[in-house]
Amino acid sequence: MLEIEGVGFSYGGRSVLHSASFCAGEGEFLALLGMNGAGKSTLLDIVSGFRRPETGSVTIAGRKQSDWTLHEMAQQVSHLPQAVHADLPFTAEQLVAMGRYPHTDRWFESDEDHRIIQQAMQRTRCWAQRHRVFGTLSGGERQRVLLAACLAQNASTMLLDEPSTFLDIEHQLHCFTLLREEARAGKLCIAVTHDLNLALTYCTRLIVLADGVVAHDIPSSQAQDNQDWLALFSPRLSLGNTPAGTPWIWYQ
Amino acid sequence: MSARNSLALSVLVFMAAALVLPWVGAGSISLARVLRHEAPDYDILLQLRLSRTLLALVAGGALSLAGALFQAMLRDALATPYTLGISAGASLGAVAVIAAGWETFFGIPVTWVGALVGAFSVLALVVGGGVKRRQISAFSLLLTGIAINSVCSAFIIILSSFAGISRSFSIARWLIGSIDATSYTSLGVLTVVVVVTSSFILTQARSWNLLAVGERWAASRGVRVGSLLATGYAAGSVLVAGAIALTGPIGFVGLIVPHLVRSRISPDHRILMPCAFFFGGTLLAFCDALGRIVIPPAEIPAGAVLAIIGGPYLVWVIRQRIPVEEI
Repeated sequence: MLEIEGVGFSYGGRSVLHSASFCAGEGEFLALLGMNGAGKSTLLDIVSGFRRPETGSVTIAGRKQSDWTLHEMAQQVSHLPQAVHADLPFTAEQLVAMGRYPHTDRWFESDEDHRIIQQAMQRTRCWAQRHRVFGTLSGGERQRVLLAACLAQNASTMLLDEPSTFLDIEHQLHCFTLLREEARAGKLCIAVTHDLNLALTYCTRLIVLADGVVAHDIPSSQAQDNQDWLALFSPRLSLGNTPAGTPWIWYQ
Repeated sequence: MSARNSLALSVLVFMAAALVLPWVGAGSISLARVLRHEAPDYDILLQLRLSRTLLALVAGGALSLAGALFQAMLRDALATPYTLGISAGASLGAVAVIAAGWETFFGIPVTWVGALVGAFSVLALVVGGGVKRRQISAFSLLLTGIAINSVCSAFIIILSSFAGISRSFSIARWLIGSIDATSYTSLGVLTVVVVVTSSFILTQARSWNLLAVGERWAASRGVRVGSLLATGYAAGSVLVAGAIALTGPIGFVGLIVPHLVRSRISPDHRILMPCAFFFGGTLLAFCDALGRIVIPPAEIPAGAVLAIIGGPYLVWVIRQRIPVEEI
């Protein structure tokens, strides 16, 4: 479904990625992990088509990314960016409706589009805010609206750059539960996150970026077997179990 | 009132302005004499006031639509059709020919030619300067436009200084912007240009919605951001250059009207853009009619009337803006 092969990218003279590679298939929920500046967001930008890799290639659904038009790509891949600063006063519902852009050439959205928009906003618990101007929402409310826009895009691959940012604990859990449901329904979800416990609990695989490459690619279920990957984040972390027996990362 | 009803209202208001405002002026016009084609009423209505009202409707609509377009491209409700330097280029071209003392070229006022040449020179410079590694962004367009604005303004001041008193007055009069009677040929050409360009802009309304949120947001939903920005800038420039070649750089209509429509009716460009066109044309025609009757027989240029209304409005808008950090 998604093949990333030897992808390299630099900002000016500063290399961020130099040979990142991994493959992922439908039904997987990947956590993309790494320290600040490791190239996680850049990699998502490359997969979404916003940036072109300087080296390497990205293949989506068996076709080279360069063979897709941007419009076709948007039907295949949705992208939740780290932040959106909508200064013009769009309402929450209007922003979510923009997720339908790749699927219709109609001037206004159809009844089916409205049904999908409503369903997406109800799933992310922001339907009550639909008439409010996006800029007046709290950070967490905005994040739920943006996630709804991604769901409304109905792409088979969802790229999410820190989807739980600004969310309270209950909504963080709800967000990751929802993404896990999407993956179980056959989508590929890739989420950048700094919350290692959320990643361990909900994701099926952990991809750890370091020094411009994929330093570790491990199924979550085997994260305890070799804990070298954990040392990349901080020497103060250790991986143990909760009283219920589920893996849990503790810090000193 | 729903957004779609507001759109219908804007069309009605526009048509009503076209029918009513030509009758407004320093001297009254007799309907009976007009119907009998008797001078001077018939000539005043047909040759002066009607062409002038239609010019205000078309130019005001074009400037207002261009304002909505540039605000979407730059993601700033305070951007105007002049932010990216097109007006400054057109003004420099017109001022250059006024300073040189040229008046007509094969019967065409040379200020039109100068304004068009100036505007399209700036268009080429800004797009050329804004493109980096075959990519273009709203930010680079904005910075290049601001730089060229400053350079053009400096040359306008220099040319005015050396133009002599009477030509300096003509330059100042042109720069304030006014609606004068024009030939129906010129009006027809402008109307065709504005209708074709506006139609093109409107067909992209869904893409302007996405771009108004952000370039990354638009790109990840299938919009080719670079080419959309370049064509949007070119189309907006055609509207601005065409309008101000005939009217001078009338300010504020491109700021006030899109802002009012966005806040009172809808920020959705599928509604916003056509409403801005029709209400913008109506506002400029109304200001022109107002300028004709305030201190008759003298006239206040439409640009001055709009500035008197628009200046305080701009201050009010700035006071109403809530910084994101305060939310």
